[in-house]
Amino acid sequence: MIKYNKPVLSNDTIFDKINTLSSKLSNVLIIKDGHILYKNLEDEYNDIYIKSYDEAMTDKADFFDQTKELYELDDDAYQYNLENVNSGLFIHVPKNKVVAEQLHIFYIQESVDLVQNTTIILDESSELKYFEYLYNEGQASINYVNNSFVKENAKLEYSGLSLFNKKAVINVTRNSSVARYGTSSIRIAEVNDSITETKTNVYLQGKYAYAEAKTIAITSGVQSAKFRQLIEHQAPETEGYIENYGVSNHESALEFEGVGKINKFMKHSIARQSNNGIVLGKKAQLDANPLLLIDEFDVEASHGAAIGKIDEEQLYYLMSRGLSTRDAERLIISGFLSPVLEVLSSDELKEDFKNQVQNKTL
Amino acid sequence: MSTLIIKNLHAKVDDNEILTGVNLEIDTGETHAIMGPNGTGKSTLASVVMGHPKYDVTEGEILLDGKNVLDMSVDERSRAGLFLGMQHPAEVPGVTNSDFIKTAMNTRLEEGKTISLFNFIRQYDKAVEELKMSEDLPHRYLNEGFSGGEKKRNEILQMKMLKPRIAILDEIDSGLDVDALKVVGDNVTKMQTDDIGLLLITHYQRLLDYIKADKVHVMMKGRIVKSGNIDIIKRIDTEGYDWIKEEVGIEDERVIVEDEEDQAVLGTCATKEALDIK
Repeated sequence: MIKYNKPVLSNDTIFDKINTLSSKLSNVLIIKDGHILYKNLEDEYNDIYIKSYDEAMTDKADFFDQTKELYELDDDAYQYNLENVNSGLFIHVPKNKVVAEQLHIFYIQESVDLVQNTTIILDESSELKYFEYLYNEGQASINYVNNSFVKENAKLEYSGLSLFNKKAVINVTRNSSVARYGTSSIRIAEVNDSITETKTNVYLQGKYAYAEAKTIAITSGVQSAKFRQLIEHQAPETEGYIENYGVSNHESALEFEGVGKINKFMKHSIARQSNNGIVLGKKAQLDANPLLLIDEFDVEASHGAAIGKIDEEQLYYLMSRGLSTRDAERLIISGFLSPVLEVLSSDELKEDFKNQVQNKTL
Repeated sequence: MSTLIIKNLHAKVDDNEILTGVNLEIDTGETHAIMGPNGTGKSTLASVVMGHPKYDVTEGEILLDGKNVLDMSVDERSRAGLFLGMQHPAEVPGVTNSDFIKTAMNTRLEEGKTISLFNFIRQYDKAVEELKMSEDLPHRYLNEGFSGGEKKRNEILQMKMLKPRIAILDEIDSGLDVDALKVVGDNVTKMQTDDIGLLLITHYQRLLDYIKADKVHVMMKGRIVKSGNIDIIKRIDTEGYDWIKEEVGIEDERVIVEDEEDQAVLGTCATKEALDIK
């Protein structure tokens, strides 16, 4: 059972930056230090349950009674989260409900050590496009857990932009279980300045389940960040794709660990993985550890990593048209990280991402 | 008027000397052509003038209006008015053609100033039309997935936009079919004004049917061994290069026996398929 205690809210103002970004979007919910401060959803969302744990713990009591068994992870940060939740959000999309417009959730930290726990349930044949914006201004340790349950033939398109500052220490766990014919696609842009450890675990539990885990990350300064993705094939004929793009600048250390795990008897499953990285800083580190743990013969699997310095020919080409080394590097890096732009739904979010990348490539 | 002067230029890559004393002077308003068989150092000359990091200049000078080009970084050379239309331009995924060229144009303006979007789009669209390129060009990624001909036309397009004072076109004709060659030829010919000096590097005489050159140079053994007017081309066309080799006393005209670019990828452990997933 999750233990939940809502903290006292020190003030209910929303940062200007967040107001500006969210004002250009529809279907927005802003939750700061555990309190929902703003909620503006279109009619399409009328049938969707989106509430804080204040109400959800009662409304959805059945679910909470069995939570612990759903993801029994042997992971300290995760267990800590379940025991100390102070900000909880519950999203439930009922059977056959297909929501066309994206939902935008802004998770903001100002004055508490945030222990966020979000639950997303997609019932049979439902669809949701979920976007999260993670942001803090205070000094904090932030523990974020998102558990999603994608039922039969349902589809979750999960995307995010994470911009934690350097005063924060971040621990993120995203779990997703996918039933037969279900799809879970998780694509996150990590442009934090914080010390960050992120784990994504996807469990393909029914035949023909499909998962994608994509991370686009850039580190700078003396920051260290580790991103681990696991896609576990617990049913036959399932597909999992892990794709990473990373840039490490200055003296930062960036690590990807992707694990494609196919269990015994899970025939005709496909596990693929690719890692692409650019080491920009002279003292920067970038490691990619692509792993395949395969216990069945009749499967398709591949993994790869291509990590190197910025391409000299590209640099020369751009400079030969008058761009300074720095401008040329920035343009190449922003191009390299551009796969993220497809998941950002407004020009303002794209701009926000680009600005942060610029700051990190100074 | 601008002048590019190359004096006794020697350059090497690794330990191989490729340029062995090139002398050349180009004024704005002139079009020069450098011909010569493969492996004689023509493309190296172009790369050294632009400042490719692979080459070390060991001797000699390059001056643009009296200023020492060899002291300039690659981007400074470009802003000083040099342009190189490359034989193998790099592909840059994720960077659109229009973002790239807009950034390049802005580097020519004072710090903090930017070109008006309206002006830019008008100029760009016009150039795209004149080069008979596809309308979605501005939104496509820089050279990525371009055919050989598209890449070459994209180089000419950039030259049109950046309006250099001295432009070197390195084998701009290779890989072009006759129609594309005609388009490129027309566009370059239109640009031949008193404000630009052109250096065409080619080993096909065919290009010079479409772009008229004032002076023709033949390069062998890493230097210019013969200079003259268009008559040289006619003779090369019918007799090949042997008569020049004989005249200068050269048996093997090459300085580069193999010209393969090394491509290094660190830490690869992959099947091609895996890297292609969407």
